Amino acid sequence: MKNASNVNFLQIDHKVENIFQPKGTIILPSPKAWESFAWVKKLFKEKPKEGYFVWVKEQSDQPLATCLTISSPKTVQNLTNILVVEKNIKAKASVLCNSIKNNLCGIHKAKGKLILKEGASLDYNHIHKWGEKDFVNPDYEFFLEKGAKLVYNYQNLLPPEKLDLITSVHNQKNASVQMNFVINGVNSKINLKEEIFLEGEGSQGVMKLRMVGKKNSQIEAKSRVLALAAGKGHLDCQGLLVDKKSTIILSPEIICKNKLAQITHEASLGRISEEELNYLRMRGLSESEATDLIVSGFLQL
Amino acid sequence: MSDLLKVENLHAKAGEKEILKGVDLTVKTGEIQALLGPNGSGKSVLAQTILGSPKYRVNKGEIFFKGKNITKLLPEKRVKLGLSLSWQSPPPVKGIKLSSLLKKISQRKDFKIKEAEGFLDREVNLDLSGGERKISELLQIFSLNPKLIIFDEIDSGLDIKKIETVARIIKKEIARKQTSVLLITHSGTILNFLKPKITNVMVDGKIICKNNDYKKTLNDIKRCGYEKCKQCKFSTN
Repeated sequence: MKNASNVNFLQIDHKVENIFQPKGTIILPSPKAWESFAWVKKLFKEKPKEGYFVWVKEQSDQPLATCLTISSPKTVQNLTNILVVEKNIKAKASVLCNSIKNNLCGIHKAKGKLILKEGASLDYNHIHKWGEKDFVNPDYEFFLEKGAKLVYNYQNLLPPEKLDLITSVHNQKNASVQMNFVINGVNSKINLKEEIFLEGEGSQGVMKLRMVGKKNSQIEAKSRVLALAAGKGHLDCQGLLVDKKSTIILSPEIICKNKLAQITHEASLGRISEEELNYLRMRGLSESEATDLIVSGFLQL
Repeated sequence: MSDLLKVENLHAKAGEKEILKGVDLTVKTGEIQALLGPNGSGKSVLAQTILGSPKYRVNKGEIFFKGKNITKLLPEKRVKLGLSLSWQSPPPVKGIKLSSLLKKISQRKDFKIKEAEGFLDREVNLDLSGGERKISELLQIFSLNPKLIIFDEIDSGLDIKKIETVARIIKKEIARKQTSVLLITHSGTILNFLKPKITNVMVDGKIICKNNDYKKTLNDIKRCGYEKCKQCKFSTN
């Protein structure tokens, strides 16, 4: 996403700077889509203020890229994003949301609905890079129709001052989702709420979280897999505390409302192992270099 | 030959327990020495203390390397000076490939060990066999271009062929750079390959015997056990 002309949708502050529609895909600002398509009106009660609408109607080899940037101080973005992948289409998307400077005190609120029609599949890489004073609140809902497949990777290595991240996935029959969250808390207050609903028979959901608490970070993650039908789910939450003032609270929850469903979970919280740290220091790395290396390894999924 | 490492009357504690109780040891440039001793005698603690592990606190005595007092130096600074330690049980570093770690630490461009080629893309010390872990240690250690290497039981858990391989790599690398070696071991097999000039025996936190003939020392230990070492007339205890 280094070259802005390759981005399918680029919004800086409130202005849409670039839209590039590949063949078979409709890309619009979401307010315009709300006016143009009756079915979009049904998704949101109110007309969106800003954000993107991406409708993948035909198969394309090109991965999609969107970029939502804050560049001016105290910008408040209030986005509504919509992504729809049509029946049996395989798509890839990279989504970058960022601030270009560290001290802009921006607010990025995003409501999103992502719909994968029957048999569709989507690899979705969601990257956040924020300034130390930003407030960020994405709230995304994914709807996976019969046999749809989603791989969702959320990565936040440059966190804002406050992050409230809400993500839910609804899986119909034989739909499957793999969600990976990698979050590096650096002097941040982070609240996560992720849910997978196994609503159809044979649906599957795996959620993995890796969180690091550094420099007085306060992280709370409420993760839930709920089986309403005979599906399979797994929840894997792991946290690593790097300093004494940080806190991580993990609340994994697995709920089974169907006797044929299977859900498992694992959760762990810990500090950096002294042995590992000393080992790397005895390979010539300073304490902070060794810590950074251990953290980067921990965040690999 | 000049003194490269000099340990003088070293006492060290883990918590409140004193483990090293006055260790004296000198290793000269290019010299190979062995360190034998029963389990729990303090050999690994001595190695870790020489490298500056924060786990152990030196409460008396001093460590000199290349004439410089390094007793209070950070581990990474000791490594930069040319000290290194091959760990007996190296911990796994999750998520980090061996090749990535080597890129970060290596002081020798394009240094390779052909036996390591099969696991360079695997995570450091994770799910490696005993032999692979030892080769990984050798690769890391020699890439640091050290002046003195302490091998903490580099031969433990290896079959005879693997010991031969490890010894061959060590022999080849130390000959190139006149590297000094302190070899902590329980077995005579690797000593037969590396032929140490001096063999030290450590019992209960002290080096109580130094001998030029490693075969004799091994035979004596085999015959009488370490307990008898304490009563031996040559013991410095």
